[in-house]
Amino acid sequence: MNLLVSLRVGWFLALRQIKRSGKGTTALIVFIMTLTFLNLVVVSGLLVGLISGSFKQFREGYSGEVIITSAVGRDYIENSPRLLGFLENHPEVDGFSARYSVGAQVQGTLTNLPKKNERPNRIGARLTGIDIEREEAVTGFSRFVAYGENLRDGEEGYILIGSNLIKKYSSFADANIPGLDLLDDVDVGSRVRVSIARQNGDSVGKDFIVKGIVKSKVDEISTRFFITDTELRRFLPVNQEQFQEIAVRTDYAYAPTLVREIKNFTGSSAARIQTTDEAIPSFLRDIETTMTVLGNALSSFALVVASITVFIVIFINAVTKRKFIGIMKGIGIAPRAIQFSYILQALFYGVAGSLIGLVLTFGVLKPYFDAYPIDFPFSDGILVATPEGAAVRILILLLVTLAAGYIPAKLIVRKNTLDSILGR
Amino acid sequence: MIRAEKLVKKYGSGELELVVLKNLDLEIKTGEFAAVIGPSGAGKSTLLYQLSFLDDPTSGEVYLDGVATSHLDQQEKTLLRLQKLGYVFQDYALLPELNAIENVALPMLMQGLGEQEAFRMAQKALSRLDLSDKNHNLPSQLSGGQQQRVSIARAIAHDPHILFADEPTANLDSESARPVMEAFRDLHREGQTIVMVTHEAEYAAFAERIISLKDGVIIDDGPWKPHARTES
Repeated sequence: MNLLVSLRVGWFLALRQIKRSGKGTTALIVFIMTLTFLNLVVVSGLLVGLISGSFKQFREGYSGEVIITSAVGRDYIENSPRLLGFLENHPEVDGFSARYSVGAQVQGTLTNLPKKNERPNRIGARLTGIDIEREEAVTGFSRFVAYGENLRDGEEGYILIGSNLIKKYSSFADANIPGLDLLDDVDVGSRVRVSIARQNGDSVGKDFIVKGIVKSKVDEISTRFFITDTELRRFLPVNQEQFQEIAVRTDYAYAPTLVREIKNFTGSSAARIQTTDEAIPSFLRDIETTMTVLGNALSSFALVVASITVFIVIFINAVTKRKFIGIMKGIGIAPRAIQFSYILQALFYGVAGSLIGLVLTFGVLKPYFDAYPIDFPFSDGILVATPEGAAVRILILLLVTLAAGYIPAKLIVRKNTLDSILGR
Repeated sequence: MIRAEKLVKKYGSGELELVVLKNLDLEIKTGEFAAVIGPSGAGKSTLLYQLSFLDDPTSGEVYLDGVATSHLDQQEKTLLRLQKLGYVFQDYALLPELNAIENVALPMLMQGLGEQEAFRMAQKALSRLDLSDKNHNLPSQLSGGQQQRVSIARAIAHDPHILFADEPTANLDSESARPVMEAFRDLHREGQTIVMVTHEAEYAAFAERIISLKDGVIIDDGPWKPHARTES
């Protein structure tokens, strides 16, 4: 019999069976399918989102879309002024922030000498000189100042300290890690002494007032000291623009092209030029992969549960209507048309569940988690859900639903017609 | 039209073997209205199942319009039932999710007719059975007699060669059964070939030919006789 006719009759039957069957049962099955869809998309999306959230923060708060740092074995980015000129005039560059960065020691207690066998209240970390206005434009730096105030352009004698360097604020303070020294009794308003080593081997020191504490889940912010770039230049001292980092803001999709263009302009040995994704440490990538695998594993369980649910629903539906299936065959309805009707019903549950799931995911959950990220110690967890990813999961869900609808329908429909009619 | 030759139907095997039809020969001619009667266990329904291809005989042959059917597979038999046969079941057997007109239109949709045409023909069939005002009623909204008449409408809407009816009044009270039997009589008058199984003499009287069955054998075959009894 014609396949199209069977399909049409299957559709005719399915439509009416859905329309006129119990509303409560239909709602329950669609609800289960919606939960399955959410399990497929949201659970794995949140797991991946824990790491992706940290990538996003790294990009937005520190690296920009392209990060240029000193090449391996070099102290600074070569031809920095020329490179800055290139970036200044590039039409796709929305902004950039060039930073000086140098290793420094910060001493927290200036009044009392340490007692015998007592280590000085001192910590070593990167001291970064920033152009306040540019940094604000590229990373919105002021939002990281959790206590005290941000630096002002050209301001001298003031320093910002990363929260993970101060015992009072560090999340590692109670970890008792051997060798980890944190600044004690240092807070906003404290005086600290910063020492840096010059190239000739001499050490130079200067006292600063702590103007603020910067707090972020990006280590490059929470484990550094910040002063203005003009002050750091004088402090070092350097006579020309010899930067250690340049964070460049551009379109995320354009970043790989910009990296190629910069490499062509400067030569690849002048600096390390990376997109933000390339700059992310590989262990974080490994965690992302692990989260993806974990998410997929959980999704697989959800799929199995969904397929069993649909199987049971369709099987019970078909078993209770076995007599009517027999009668349909008795009056000449092709078994294939009857199977189609059950498959289409299963597909309806899958499609309805997926559509509701889509609306919930992109209309409610994603905006919610974007606005209120999950507060994890190392990141602000977001929900990673893309239309492409959701489309793939819908396809998988529908395929599973299709199989789960087909098998029980086939089992019941192939039973002897007369036995079905007589209930034998 | 339809002819059974040396029809045997057995159930079980060995000591448990039960022979329900024993070398039965029968021919139903075009336009006949035949009632198969007999006591319980005589093999009436079994005979109907073999003639209507709902079941396969153990041996013997059924010819439809002169063509042997034993070699047909289930798919071909389903197609044959769709195109040439109509079937009225004892318990109406309407699909509960379809309303009256949809139930009647279903076989015609399967035949490949467009929805509009199938519904037009279904409406015509329902009108013939005085149910034109019940088109959109679900089976649960119809009385037993009305449901059985919808079932008849479904069986005749596609103009089948033979209409089979398996105890069509068994679940109806006499008030509801009469219009059903009158419908069969009217269809017969219009030329419809009908084979009906019944155990009620009152309704067998509507047929022009009575086939009496006992222990799987035809014991009498001829016109209605007032003294004919259906049950021992």
